[in-house]
Amino acid sequence: MRATIPLQSEMPKSSDPAPLARTRGRLRLDHVTRLFNGSADHGVQDISMTCEPGEFVVVVGPSGSGKSTLLNLAAGMIGPTSGTIDLDGQPVREPGPDRSMVFQDHGLFPWLSAAQNIEFGLKMSGMPRTERKDRVAEALRLVHLSDSAGKLIHELSGGMRQRVAIARALVLDPAVLLMDEPFAALDAQTRTLMHAQLQELWGQTRKTIMFVTHSVGEAVRLADRIIVLHAHPGRIRKEIRVALSHPRNFDSADINQLVRQVRKEIEDEVNRVNRSTADAYWKPETPADMGNDPGVMGGGI
Amino acid sequence: MILGLWEGAYRVTQVVSPTSWRSWNFPAPSHVLDAALGMLEIPTGFGNPLNTPGWPRVHSDATAGRPAAHVYNSPLVIANLVSLTRLAIGFGVSILIGGFAGLAMWRWKALDDFLGPPLLGVQTLPSVCWVPMAVLVLGINENSILFVLVMGSFAAIAISLRDGLRTIPPLYPRAGLMLGAKGWRLYRYVLLPASLPALATSLRQGFSFAWRSLMGAELILIVPHRGLGYLLQSGRDFSDIAQVIAIMIVMVLIGMLADRWVFAKIQAAIQVRFGLA
Repeated sequence: MRATIPLQSEMPKSSDPAPLARTRGRLRLDHVTRLFNGSADHGVQDISMTCEPGEFVVVVGPSGSGKSTLLNLAAGMIGPTSGTIDLDGQPVREPGPDRSMVFQDHGLFPWLSAAQNIEFGLKMSGMPRTERKDRVAEALRLVHLSDSAGKLIHELSGGMRQRVAIARALVLDPAVLLMDEPFAALDAQTRTLMHAQLQELWGQTRKTIMFVTHSVGEAVRLADRIIVLHAHPGRIRKEIRVALSHPRNFDSADINQLVRQVRKEIEDEVNRVNRSTADAYWKPETPADMGNDPGVMGGGI
Repeated sequence: MILGLWEGAYRVTQVVSPTSWRSWNFPAPSHVLDAALGMLEIPTGFGNPLNTPGWPRVHSDATAGRPAAHVYNSPLVIANLVSLTRLAIGFGVSILIGGFAGLAMWRWKALDDFLGPPLLGVQTLPSVCWVPMAVLVLGINENSILFVLVMGSFAAIAISLRDGLRTIPPLYPRAGLMLGAKGWRLYRYVLLPASLPALATSLRQGFSFAWRSLMGAELILIVPHRGLGYLLQSGRDFSDIAQVIAIMIVMVLIGMLADRWVFAKIQAAIQVRFGLA
């Protein structure tokens, strides 16, 4: 399966949805707070951020920083305690196909085949069967899974499952694509392939993407903008614009440099969290080789 | 092999010391087979001293609409049909009641707190304990047999369905909502298919409860249509140990075959589909 995935786009660009996509897909969170059980330890506090149309925003932070909470808020799975969330001016109140989501554990329905999973959202929207068929076939082509259309989910590899999940989300032509650590459960090689594929997909569709991860490398590889979160409760600690051009060469020195810088940011935060929860005899240290020079952040291109 | 030794031992004992093993106290396999085939109206010549040659039976009265004059008027096939018909009706009702109860308990926590413990209690109550109540409330008729069957099995279905539904990953309804499945569509297209493994398990469990309850009810409640339980009881009444054992074997076989060939097959098919097996 791995050999058949083209690393960079070898296929003709699909009929260009970019002009439409550019005008929709502005996801705005305005002073959003969501705490669980009234405790300031869980959830997010006073988050204000905007994902511009066609922008690839990666939210990164240690566990407990409310990354997934943020995504669930944007999806409308949960409501904010205070603050507002809107998509293109429309307030977000409930889950809907205009903000489709890719879950870490794919969330594909095991009783349906790959193609039927992709078709599901279209079926729910009441689209006629013949049109659904075409859209599904196109989505399968987009993720290079045309040959696996009839397979059941458990017959697919981890990477293939995530590609089906991405196709299932994209086929609805959402304004925003929300991705909740979608590649965290994959092995390193597959993850790299998925990064390349996601870049390619994003290049073709120009969807607004809000991507949550705890992996700094992943964030720097993919993002236009990285938002680093504090933990307990989640707050925005820093925004980093990644001014590297797409598609990116993941091995380039620029990327590695940036990864080190962002990792430093996170490392401090992880250590702060660990220190607050560990006993007095454990002193987590920041590794000495982590350079921190904000002057070159995103620069040198 | 065991049956062969058993039969051989019986034959030898009959020659050596005829009084030491009386076939009416404990039969040899040939007697059981003889009883079974006799009830199928296939006379054999195995020589059960109790009912040779063949099987006494009276048919004419039943067709004339009068009560049958002889206990041996219900051959095995009829009894099976009667029992299986009751099972189909009663189990169907049981699935409906248990299904809705299980679904409702899963959906509403308060209802589960309220109904859960009593249902668990009902499940532990042996089903024949419903017989006295059935007799007093409904009388001795088909309805009371069905009542015992339903009461004996619906709680098991409800509880195992509820427990199964609880194991549905919350990710499925979330994904369904995200894809635009709202209201009844979420139930029809996400939760119902997602609950199929739970449903199969609860059916399998419910069936064995239903079958046991039915046999118990038929054994005690003697009504015009005669099921397997009645044949077992009549075997006892006429001290026909061969018939008793033959009927017990038939009961075990039906229960086993239904479980193996129907419910286990359904369960396996669903598990393969879901990638669980």
